[in-house]
Amino acid sequence: MAAFFNKIKGGSTASGNQTAKDNAAAKKRDEQIILEMTPLEKMLRNAGPLREDGSDRFYGFENFGNTCYCNSIVQALFYSDLFRNSVINYPSLSPSDTPDGTRPRVNVSIRPPMQPTPPNPPNGKQKGLSSSQVIKQRQAINAGMPPPGQGPVRPEDKPDTPEYKKKQAMLKGPILELAQENTNAYGMDECTFTGLKDIFLALIESQTRTGVLSPQRFLEIFKRDNEMFRNSMHQDAHEFYGLVLNDVIANVEANAHKFKAQLENQQNGLAQSVENALGSAMAKHTNGVTTPGTGWVHDIFEGVLTSETKCLTCETGSQRDETFLDLSIDLEEHSSVTSCLRKFSDEEMLCERNKFHCDHCGGLQEAEKRMKVKRLPKVLTLHLKRFKYTEDYSRLQKLFHRVVYPYHLRMFNTTDEAEDPDRLYELYAVVVHIGGNAYHGHYVSIIKTQDRGWVLFDDEMVEPVDKHFVRNFFGEKPGMATAYVLFYQETTFEKVREEQEREGMEDIKLASQAASSAQEDDDKSPKASTQLKRQATFSQRATVDHEELGKLARTNTSPEQALSSPPIPALANHPIPEVPVTTTNSTSEPVEVVKSKEDKKREKKEREAAEKAEKQAERAEKLAEKEREKQAKIEEKKRQEERIKNLQQARKSESDELQKALEESKKLAKEENAKKRESGSSSPFGLLDRSKRGSKSMAKRSFSFFHREKGDNSHFTNGETNGEHSEGKDSLKDRLSSSLGRKKSTNILA
Amino acid sequence: MFVLPPPPRYPLNGQYGAGGINPLVPAIETNNSLSNPTGPEWQFLVGEGTYVLKEDLHLATPPPHPSEAPIINPNPLSTAPQPASAGTKVSLLSLDGRSNPSMVFKNPLAFVGNGNSSSIQEHPSESRLSAESKFSSEDKLSTSISDAPATSVTLGSAPAFGEGNAFLVPVPLKDGNKRRKPKNNMTKSNSSFISRVIVDESLNRKLTDRPADGLFAFANINRAFQWIDLSSATKQDYLTKILFTKAHCLCHDVNLITRSSSHIDIIMGFSTGEIIWWEPISQRYTRLNKNGIINSTPVSEITWIPGSENLFLAAHMDGSLVVYDKEKDDAQFNPEDEASGVPNGTDGENDTASKTKGTKIQVVKSVHSKNQKTNPVAAWKLSNQRINAFAFSPDNRHLAVGSEDGTLRIIDYLKEELLDLFYSYYGSLTCVCWSPDAKYVLTGGQDDLISIWSVADSALVARCQGHQSWVSSVAFDPWRCDDRNYRFGSVGEDGRLCLWDFNVGMLHRPRALSVRHRGSISSRYTALQRAETSTTAASHLRSNSNLETEDDEEDTVSHPVEPRARIPILPPVLNKNIDTHPACWLDFTEDAIITSCKSGHIRTWNRPGIEPIPGSAQKSG
Repeated sequence: MAAFFNKIKGGSTASGNQTAKDNAAAKKRDEQIILEMTPLEKMLRNAGPLREDGSDRFYGFENFGNTCYCNSIVQALFYSDLFRNSVINYPSLSPSDTPDGTRPRVNVSIRPPMQPTPPNPPNGKQKGLSSSQVIKQRQAINAGMPPPGQGPVRPEDKPDTPEYKKKQAMLKGPILELAQENTNAYGMDECTFTGLKDIFLALIESQTRTGVLSPQRFLEIFKRDNEMFRNSMHQDAHEFYGLVLNDVIANVEANAHKFKAQLENQQNGLAQSVENALGSAMAKHTNGVTTPGTGWVHDIFEGVLTSETKCLTCETGSQRDETFLDLSIDLEEHSSVTSCLRKFSDEEMLCERNKFHCDHCGGLQEAEKRMKVKRLPKVLTLHLKRFKYTEDYSRLQKLFHRVVYPYHLRMFNTTDEAEDPDRLYELYAVVVHIGGNAYHGHYVSIIKTQDRGWVLFDDEMVEPVDKHFVRNFFGEKPGMATAYVLFYQETTFEKVREEQEREGMEDIKLASQAASSAQEDDDKSPKASTQLKRQATFSQRATVDHEELGKLARTNTSPEQALSSPPIPALANHPIPEVPVTTTNSTSEPVEVVKSKEDKKREKKEREAAEKAEKQAERAEKLAEKEREKQAKIEEKKRQEERIKNLQQARKSESDELQKALEESKKLAKEENAKKRESGSSSPFGLLDRSKRGSKSMAKRSFSFFHREKGDNSHFTNGETNGEHSEGKDSLKDRLSSSLGRKKSTNILA
Repeated sequence: MFVLPPPPRYPLNGQYGAGGINPLVPAIETNNSLSNPTGPEWQFLVGEGTYVLKEDLHLATPPPHPSEAPIINPNPLSTAPQPASAGTKVSLLSLDGRSNPSMVFKNPLAFVGNGNSSSIQEHPSESRLSAESKFSSEDKLSTSISDAPATSVTLGSAPAFGEGNAFLVPVPLKDGNKRRKPKNNMTKSNSSFISRVIVDESLNRKLTDRPADGLFAFANINRAFQWIDLSSATKQDYLTKILFTKAHCLCHDVNLITRSSSHIDIIMGFSTGEIIWWEPISQRYTRLNKNGIINSTPVSEITWIPGSENLFLAAHMDGSLVVYDKEKDDAQFNPEDEASGVPNGTDGENDTASKTKGTKIQVVKSVHSKNQKTNPVAAWKLSNQRINAFAFSPDNRHLAVGSEDGTLRIIDYLKEELLDLFYSYYGSLTCVCWSPDAKYVLTGGQDDLISIWSVADSALVARCQGHQSWVSSVAFDPWRCDDRNYRFGSVGEDGRLCLWDFNVGMLHRPRALSVRHRGSISSRYTALQRAETSTTAASHLRSNSNLETEDDEEDTVSHPVEPRARIPILPPVLNKNIDTHPACWLDFTEDAIITSCKSGHIRTWNRPGIEPIPGSAQKSG
């Protein structure tokens, strides 16, 4: 490394530089691929101390091959505060269980992270790649075409795909492995409940906010107790949900009985009868569960349905109560969940082969039956019946009916005697099924966390998303992803209002981004305008990275934003193309002046670099915004304002310097036209580097000075022309700094 | 019935995205098509007779702009921000005043809070004639109504917006008869915002040959905007089609004051936050809020301010209402607090507290401000939640605004004050409209309900249940309203058209319609707002709302959500599936009901007794 550094410093021959840098670049790329910060991590950067209740852990779950049905449901259960806290607190601990005053820790082994397999097999003959070529390669890989000299590209090596992100998650770790048998599981026999509790505790006790959890043991136990799930075929998440809850209920009750029996055995005589008396007095639970402290699952998830049947012959009505842990509702095309629920309670005619046996009349009679909700649960789980048998019952088909669901809900189909019929619910988790049929598919869950907004959990990958993301799964969009299970939890009007206040600021940011993603370039000449804009966005990103807290002052009114950053045009100026992740990029310019081939190439490289970086920065921006809002405090605000001023000044002077340097380099670059190779690593990574390092603008400035002093012309290739000011300069600096700076920064920081 | 997924194309890469191309967006450009389907599913029976579908005009969805990369295997979990888009909405315009009866009710009937008591008992049809004659004589003149207060009599005696602010008086036109046109020529523009403009070759001939009372329609679809002559037999041949490069037009409106056979003012709000003022006859346009300089969030609704030639109101998705002047330029916008007229106003805590409770609107710039050289003329921040819809009351005094957080605000926009704050049962409010006599406001929302609010009583009077999905649009049928009976219609994402009748008398009954009286429970609820749900099964008590609130202001302005048991439920008189796609807009004309859906079908349903056009198949019965 040092030798390399010397080489740069020495400004040796061009070719020598190239190969050395290229190898270093390739290596850098590997490291960079691995150490990229995910949007989740960016969001959690300044999160403060870990919470004890576990509500601020964001772990992915490992998928052992089609176990996403388990992962998505367990995640949804974990983030129900009610459920999580109840699981943690049961069984209540006796003094003997807590020798040193704390709970015994879960037996978690931390699996060492995987060795990163380099995407390109080491090949001495591989030509060095310029940054734009790397970008192209990345795009090509995304599109499925392997780079020359490679075998077929593995899905997980294509950057920006879910597979890639999951691989990254596994590489980063920590991977909490729950693979061991838990012999003394909370005084209970090992069962589904203890396995689940182990998972929850492992998350709560973890020392990092992010990582991957491997729920091996839990699945082993569950499969042991549920024969149908013993194969490795695709399973139904809703079925899993029902079985897990029922297992938990059974386990808890069994344990309670055992506990009671133990008590009875241990005690004798008066003491025992007193115990019993006390026990039975404590035990009265309206649910009919007679042991203390075990009704909590029912309490949370269970509701009561009343089926009212009216015999059409004698007109007598009869009622029958039944409990439910979730409601499975039939779907209709272009309907809402409200309407489906209403239909659920519609009258059903019991006739023909389905006649009702009326006690009053005696014999089978035609009857009218309807089901209404007598008691509403705290967590209302709605199962959308997307899988239906074909008419000949030969196979299961998936329905892609568009069914909309609101963020809040009240139930219309309650009985008259129901208590609190206008109870307000809020949507907090959506389990989405992706796939064309019932036999093959993937489950993910999107969950609203306590104060981090909505988060997407896709097995090992965890990514924050915005509120409106949840609306993509109504059923009509291409991609075959539909909402399958909806979790609504009870809330109050006040809480909703408060939340909307908090959300509001984030919404504005999103609206601006939506606007800018539809934005077109203005009427200036195409070349100039794109370049100018790119300049703007780059600088803007600098702002985001460096002063994410400081920007809070600006988000209040968008005009202010424009005000406080004079060199940057309004936010909506991003020519961000609306392309999903896997496609090739293109610019938004329909008209292009005919340029020389070299110019075009250069431009394209820069454009691609810009777009890649924009996408990353977009996400960074979004998340930076989220984080910011949540941490808003008055003192911080003041500090931020100061910082803004300072940084603005710094940036301003920086951009002035850049301009000067750029003009210099323009001349030099013209001489360097023949050389197309770019030195150093690709700029997007460079930019990400910068973002990772936070406010290191000062450090970079020193590099630029360093640059100019040394007068090292070879670094000024490709991209400084055509008036691309800070952007070119930034990428330049990054190129330099990423080859230099990382080491340098480690020197400084280490 | 199964809805099959798009044909799967098993991907070579990744586990997702076997979806294939989005079926709704075509790959190549197509033309509008006109059809006249007949049959029982294309008509519906209501009390007054049978409505029959006259024709179905299907607007062509434009293919993506060539510069956009084709999306082959979209990742369904992609978290990239998506631009806003709205379904097809239609602005109808008749150059003849007669077809706009909403004018009718402004004149004779008593208005809320208005001392004008003349001719209350005037029969609607009579007053229509009088209004008509007034209008047709003024119609051809172009200086009829301006911002000056004296001439606003025709529209009720509400003062003009911004009256009293000397800085807002428009520069008088040099030539009294000529209207100012927008700055740029649309067909010759090299703006990258507009991709293409296609004008009908025989546009001028068509304009002169058409009937004077024919209807024009302006409709948005995807990234296109079309001007169509509904009175033409070949209406599928648009008069003009504008294709934008990337932006989608989300909303639009026609100025009824300045319209004439030689001048039409259209405003369009876009997904980029920008606004275009377009004059289709001269093919000129001006771009406002360029690049989002004043507000960078998309425009969800846009309307001309009643009585104004120049001023219009745009609702942005960040919760702002902004008044623009079509002829003023954009400039950097400095918020001006109402208190001091100085940025970062000094009102401090009190204002913030009430603002966060939503009981006051933040006047970011008042219409009475002295700084009126550039846009915006005024700006109000209602909240941070997206505004979905708003409507001016027919008496031009009030503004009703529905937001994403489920709030309905009744605002006196002349005084820039919030009068009432209501809440939906749950979910966001998606559409708003006023009754022709300005007494009632309707809102539709994500609770599948249409709520009827009484302005005078500041209360919810009924909930209308009939839609099976979210309600997209509500409108009154002024031809079937009188002072006691109201007819209104709604369309929703369920593709259904519902017609409703409500009667004032019916609503005043103490326990109207289908309310089930359970005294023990309903009497406990005075307001759902303060009811906390029990956290243990044992406690059944509801905290009975302590109406002594910390903030006194809230009492008069904010109204809690009414429990279901206390509000009458109104069923529809018609609940008809009119489309296989979600419907997004409806309106009533003298002859028909016109509806539109997300896939671009504009359907005209003739009223009972209206003869279908000769040549189309006659329907029996």
